Amino acid sequence: MADVLLEGRDLTKHYPVSKGLLQRTVGWVRAVDGISFTIERGKTLSLVGESGAGKTTTAKAVLLLEKLTSGNIFFEGKDVYRFTNSQLKTEYRPRVQSVQQNPWSSMNPRMRVRDIIAEPLVVNTKKSKQEIRSRVLELLEQVGLSPNHADYYPHEFSGGQRQRIAVARALALNPSLVVLDEPVSALDVSIRAQIMNLLKDLQGQYNLSYLVIAHNLATVRYMSHSVAIMYLGQIVEYGEAEELFQRPLHPYTKALISASILTLPEEDGQEAKQIILSGEMPSPLNPPPGCRFHTRCVQAMDICSKVVPQVRVVGQQRVKCHIYADPSVSPGSS
Amino acid sequence: MSKILLQVEDLHTSFFTRAGEVKAVDGVSFHVREGETFGLVGESACGKTVTGLSLLRLLPEPAGRIVGGKIILDGTNLLELSKKEMRKIRGKKISMILQDPMTSLNPVYTVGDQIAESIRLHQNLHDDNMVEKEVISALRLLKIPAPEQRLHDYPFQMSGGMRQRVVGAIAMSCRPRLLIADEPTTALDATIQAQYIALFKDIQKNTNVAIIFITHDFGVVANMCHRVAVMYAGKIVETATTRTIFKASKHPYTRALIDSVPRLDRKDDRLYSIKGQPPSLLNLPPGCRFSPRCSVAQEVCHQQEPPEVEIGDGHSVSCWGVK
Amino acid sequence: MQEKDSDSEITAEPVVGGLSRRARIIRKLTFIIPVTILSLIVLVAIFADLAWLGFPDVGLAPYDPVKISLPDRLMPPFWAEEGSTAHLLGTDKMGRDILSRLLFGARISLSVSLLVILITSSIGTMLGIIGGYLGGRIEAFLMRITDISMAFPPILVAMLLVVSMGPSFLTVVLAISLLGWAPYARLIRGETLRLREMDFVAQARIIGTSPFRIMLRHIFPNIINPLIIIMTLQIGLLIIVEASLSFLGVGIPPPAPSWGNMVNDGRNLVDTAWWISTFPGIAIGLVVMSGNFFGDWLRDRLDPKLRQL
Repeated sequence: MADVLLEGRDLTKHYPVSKGLLQRTVGWVRAVDGISFTIERGKTLSLVGESGAGKTTTAKAVLLLEKLTSGNIFFEGKDVYRFTNSQLKTEYRPRVQSVQQNPWSSMNPRMRVRDIIAEPLVVNTKKSKQEIRSRVLELLEQVGLSPNHADYYPHEFSGGQRQRIAVARALALNPSLVVLDEPVSALDVSIRAQIMNLLKDLQGQYNLSYLVIAHNLATVRYMSHSVAIMYLGQIVEYGEAEELFQRPLHPYTKALISASILTLPEEDGQEAKQIILSGEMPSPLNPPPGCRFHTRCVQAMDICSKVVPQVRVVGQQRVKCHIYADPSVSPGSS
Repeated sequence: MSKILLQVEDLHTSFFTRAGEVKAVDGVSFHVREGETFGLVGESACGKTVTGLSLLRLLPEPAGRIVGGKIILDGTNLLELSKKEMRKIRGKKISMILQDPMTSLNPVYTVGDQIAESIRLHQNLHDDNMVEKEVISALRLLKIPAPEQRLHDYPFQMSGGMRQRVVGAIAMSCRPRLLIADEPTTALDATIQAQYIALFKDIQKNTNVAIIFITHDFGVVANMCHRVAVMYAGKIVETATTRTIFKASKHPYTRALIDSVPRLDRKDDRLYSIKGQPPSLLNLPPGCRFSPRCSVAQEVCHQQEPPEVEIGDGHSVSCWGVK
Repeated sequence: MQEKDSDSEITAEPVVGGLSRRARIIRKLTFIIPVTILSLIVLVAIFADLAWLGFPDVGLAPYDPVKISLPDRLMPPFWAEEGSTAHLLGTDKMGRDILSRLLFGARISLSVSLLVILITSSIGTMLGIIGGYLGGRIEAFLMRITDISMAFPPILVAMLLVVSMGPSFLTVVLAISLLGWAPYARLIRGETLRLREMDFVAQARIIGTSPFRIMLRHIFPNIINPLIIIMTLQIGLLIIVEASLSFLGVGIPPPAPSWGNMVNDGRNLVDTAWWISTFPGIAIGLVVMSGNFFGDWLRDRLDPKLRQL
């Protein structure tokens, strides 16, 4: 039985859109529309999608920076929205931390590194200055920085080093789950590998769970145990990473993989296999009826524009697509 | 093989700052043929963007200055032209696309007006109808649907991908011979990026424009470029065809860089990561600039800069370790 | 600018620091001159006399500024006919030494200015940060109060207050401060709104930091830069406000000299005893210009990209 750390059930977040002098609500941005997932202890779940898919909103909901319109978050089996404020402060926040995308704006430029890393401890624990100081040095070492880095200001470091500081800060309270929003996309290519390796090492060392938000599929494949592909606020395919990448089911997943894979020119047959989607992701204000992807789908059928597809289980994966509605259709067919 | 359109010889561009001279481009040479796509790949501060700006002499003055070399386009050294003559070249013979479509477009003018500006300037057309025809033609080239209506739109009314196409339309409106594209797809989503690249390949087929594609993304390089130059700390370390770079590159940096990028077509157990960071351009290491981070560096690498050596068909490397 | 040869990129001379030598010198001067002037005036104000150290008769000022000496009245500055070196800048219609009054006036005018800056910036910043960060009804309430107070004509209100409370140093300071905090509140609130959306503030919330601590540790240190700029630019402005009040007769009460009431004193004698109004006028101009130049220099220096002092 899998050890589930966090479960999201039917998470929904709609933002009202108001217009006019009287600010009447004229519509809703359906940023996240009924998604469910689980994060196991010590494992990584990645939420993948393009901009507008709703992955950042989901991350914010898990970090309690946004309040859901409906749905539940269960942390170690308990409903987070039923926690009292003090329970949140002692049982949730210290256990769920975050590393943000932009290493330049995620740290107070006026604070020294040692204060940045110490802050979670200062705010949440009653440790003495001594204890905090030694914990900060310990964390710096953990992320591959040296003790004298503690006295510098963030702007004196490179992007990669700043992300390391951010990771150190995230680990200060010994969290169980770290939410990483595009942790390497703002970094140079050669530094990304360093940071990804560091994250993997720390995961092994501390049995950390990661919720990774990313749009780069290759990064996702390297880091994740399970993957959820999001499109316009919904999860269209969900499963174990290896399964998903070797046998993608949903047409959107296939298009994403095709767009991301390295294909050298003049390679026979490769050009033909590229799936180029037409158009762009529609606005979450007005998602298309039926299957939201049908407007761009190369395999769209008649039913796709009319009926919302159910989630089907195919092998180990869950997919939301009419192609798989018929149980006689095997996962391998494209 | 088509003839050589652009020849860059020993280009040196520096920024003069309070802290000293930053040699952003320190002796760069390459050539681009008509109708081919040439990639300039590297990480931040390697000099690729500055090279692109130097070609158009668009450096921020007075701090940025080209201090040496030749840029020969169709037989003329661009560095010897007056400012007035250079203005005639920009937009007409060489054009540029920048990374961020939001700031490349003026929010208070319609898309049509912005494309028209370039046309009026370079093609000497004054008849409004003729200009509009050219604008629509440029929009069509970039496959923007319903161009007759779109030209009245403002940038904020369009999506990111569409805006980037408009930027492309402005750049291509006068059918330049050379297009410099500086990270044009970095801000775009994967599927939109794929569309965009396919589109540019088409445009290249139709107009025979040569493209210099500046990027850090190897996936895009593989998809788009015929030949590639890899840059590091202001110098080109290796130049070759795309195929060669991916399958048979010789420079340790190129190899390390490609190895450190996670692959989608296979599961990596552990990524190779290059230790350390790129050097500060104010404080360059002696000898080969990559030597402090190079896993196969020898004595000589730390002492002398390696010369560029041609080792095969259009394949050249700057590395002591390569014979 | 020639079109041909000097445009060839390579032949022109390299420039250091991105600026030509001339530009660098000018830039240095725009800092040195105003700061020197301001520092001199502050020194003069402090050392006008050393009464505060216990030596009332020692100091820069040659005479007691309020000492009346009718035989010496209306003497012109020393370089004019009938002037004498005993009174370098002449005397006013009561025979009081202009130079001494100028020096003591510096003390009073600057004190008013600095005190008001202190009071208004403290109040305005607090309200701006609290309103900007907490938002909602608190912000709405505070901003409405700010808007309302900005709707009143400041000098008029100051006048009314001084008249009703009776003119004195304290009442003048309070009167000017009463409406002076509003621009700070506005600006600081704007900056707070911008900072509130930054990643590191979100990060602080994720860690569980209280709003109070966020405002103190994260917002405040990052608004110091724009705050200092406004404060510097206010120096000159407030001297003028005080001078205006004095000019209207509701400023620092005589016989204590402030530059404003000195100008007022000489107002009717501008054609004959021009020195009475002119010297304090020049002093006011110098401080205002220096304050403004310094403030501009600071604004340029504290590049928003760096956000550093």
